[in-house]
Amino acid sequence: MEVATYMLRTGRRGLPFEFTMALRDLRMSFERIDLAWALARHDLVSRYRGSILGPFWITLSMAIMVAGISAVYSKLFHLSLHDYVPYVAIGIVLFGFISGVMNEGCDTFVQAAGMLSQTSLPMFTFVWRTLIRNLLNLAHHLIIVVAVLIVPLPPAAESYWRDSNVPLAALGFVLVALNAGWTSLLVGVASARFRDIPQVIISITQFAMLMTPVFWFAGQFPSRHAVLLFNPFYHMLEAVRAPLLGKAVEPHTWAILAVMAVVGWALALTVFTLTRRRIVHYL
Amino acid sequence: MKPSPVSISVRGLTLRFPVYGVDAKSLKKHLARVTVGGRLGSSHGAHGATEVTALTKLDLELRAGDRLGLIGHNGSGKTSLLRALSGAYEPDEGEVEVRGRIAALLDLNLGIDPSATGIDNIRLRGRIAGMSSKEIEDRLEDIGRFTGLGPFLAMPMKTYSAGMQARLAFAAATSVEADVLLMDEWIAVGDAEFQKIAHKRLLGLVERAGILVLASHEVDLLRLYCNKVMRLEGGVASPVTDIRKLDELLAA
Repeated sequence: MEVATYMLRTGRRGLPFEFTMALRDLRMSFERIDLAWALARHDLVSRYRGSILGPFWITLSMAIMVAGISAVYSKLFHLSLHDYVPYVAIGIVLFGFISGVMNEGCDTFVQAAGMLSQTSLPMFTFVWRTLIRNLLNLAHHLIIVVAVLIVPLPPAAESYWRDSNVPLAALGFVLVALNAGWTSLLVGVASARFRDIPQVIISITQFAMLMTPVFWFAGQFPSRHAVLLFNPFYHMLEAVRAPLLGKAVEPHTWAILAVMAVVGWALALTVFTLTRRRIVHYL
Repeated sequence: MKPSPVSISVRGLTLRFPVYGVDAKSLKKHLARVTVGGRLGSSHGAHGATEVTALTKLDLELRAGDRLGLIGHNGSGKTSLLRALSGAYEPDEGEVEVRGRIAALLDLNLGIDPSATGIDNIRLRGRIAGMSSKEIEDRLEDIGRFTGLGPFLAMPMKTYSAGMQARLAFAAATSVEADVLLMDEWIAVGDAEFQKIAHKRLLGLVERAGILVLASHEVDLLRLYCNKVMRLEGGVASPVTDIRKLDELLAA
């Protein structure tokens, strides 16, 4: 593999030039996506180094959480395991991914301070690193999602698998990942500049987990109720969870997610264009 | 080796750092400043932070085979110049143009995970330096032998001394076959034996028609490696002169 053998760095030359440089950073990061992959993999491996189960702790701890919450809340809500377990399992796993990308996004640039201050690596490499690390995490949780969809739970004799619309759920997940991605980039830049942001983001995600139908059923509200309609997390969950459980996704959920992705990336790229030169000095 | 000759060309480089104090990084302070209005802001730069000019209108031309020593007091801009040459710092004015593969050895701890083994850290550093995993596996033995750390390579980095870390970092970074090597003076941490092998490798680099830029306070080190020298004083550079005139430059 060739390393850049030619490098030209110049002073500011107006906004269009800054924008091309930001896009160049993005393109370079795709050319070296294997580096982001290697870093993300290293993060995960080093987190579980020395433990006997290794990364399968991710799966195990999530399985314990799903089992515990299912046991308690299905009793509290008077729901059958068939109704509740797959619903809550998919909800927790997906919300964990979204909040993980957001919370860890705060550290994206701060954590990479050493590398950013002495190499010409693309900044986006570190955004992908955070995203890929959380995707790998999610892959470990996928076992649980597949299990609750395949295994028939009492009192039903059939599992959900037959009705699951996996391609539609995959499409929904792409939208979720796109939205989580721009949020991650934005909070990454913001946290590098203002050290209060990580605390703000943690508060938001914790609050959102209780306000979003992760543990409780969205059906307890009318579908256009403000708690659901203006909650981006609800739409992200629904886009993946509903197809997997064989239910229809409301058209406005798709529309909101698509508009959010476009507007969000435009905003995040604009902020990145304006701050790209400065990020290394924030650190 | 490469069709295009190795070169560094810096024209009118000015670097300004916004200094974000601990206070300035707090959102509350930033919002407070907005509400107070322009009064406080007038003494500050564009981004609400005091700006320090690290380098002013610096020109530098280096060709293959040049080994430039940078001298100057602490805070004179040596490391800033190296960081600008590495591509990490974007110029505020002027241009930095580098032809050739760059390897920057500025920070010993680049990409180092203290709880990972020496081997894993070589892999990590190699990846950061732009090698593919196959390239790294091919050279792993070579790099390992060069470090002289033997069985310690299988131990976590946190058990290493500073000198051992320097060996590993130097071995991994110089294995990339870089054309342009940027070094801060930490290279001096190794013991005498390591200094000797490092010296051999650096000379090898220069023989391959590369460029070396070394920032150091050690006059002897500069005389050993460099054939040219430049003095930085408060971000302003002296003309590049021959290493034999080092004493005159130091006296100036």
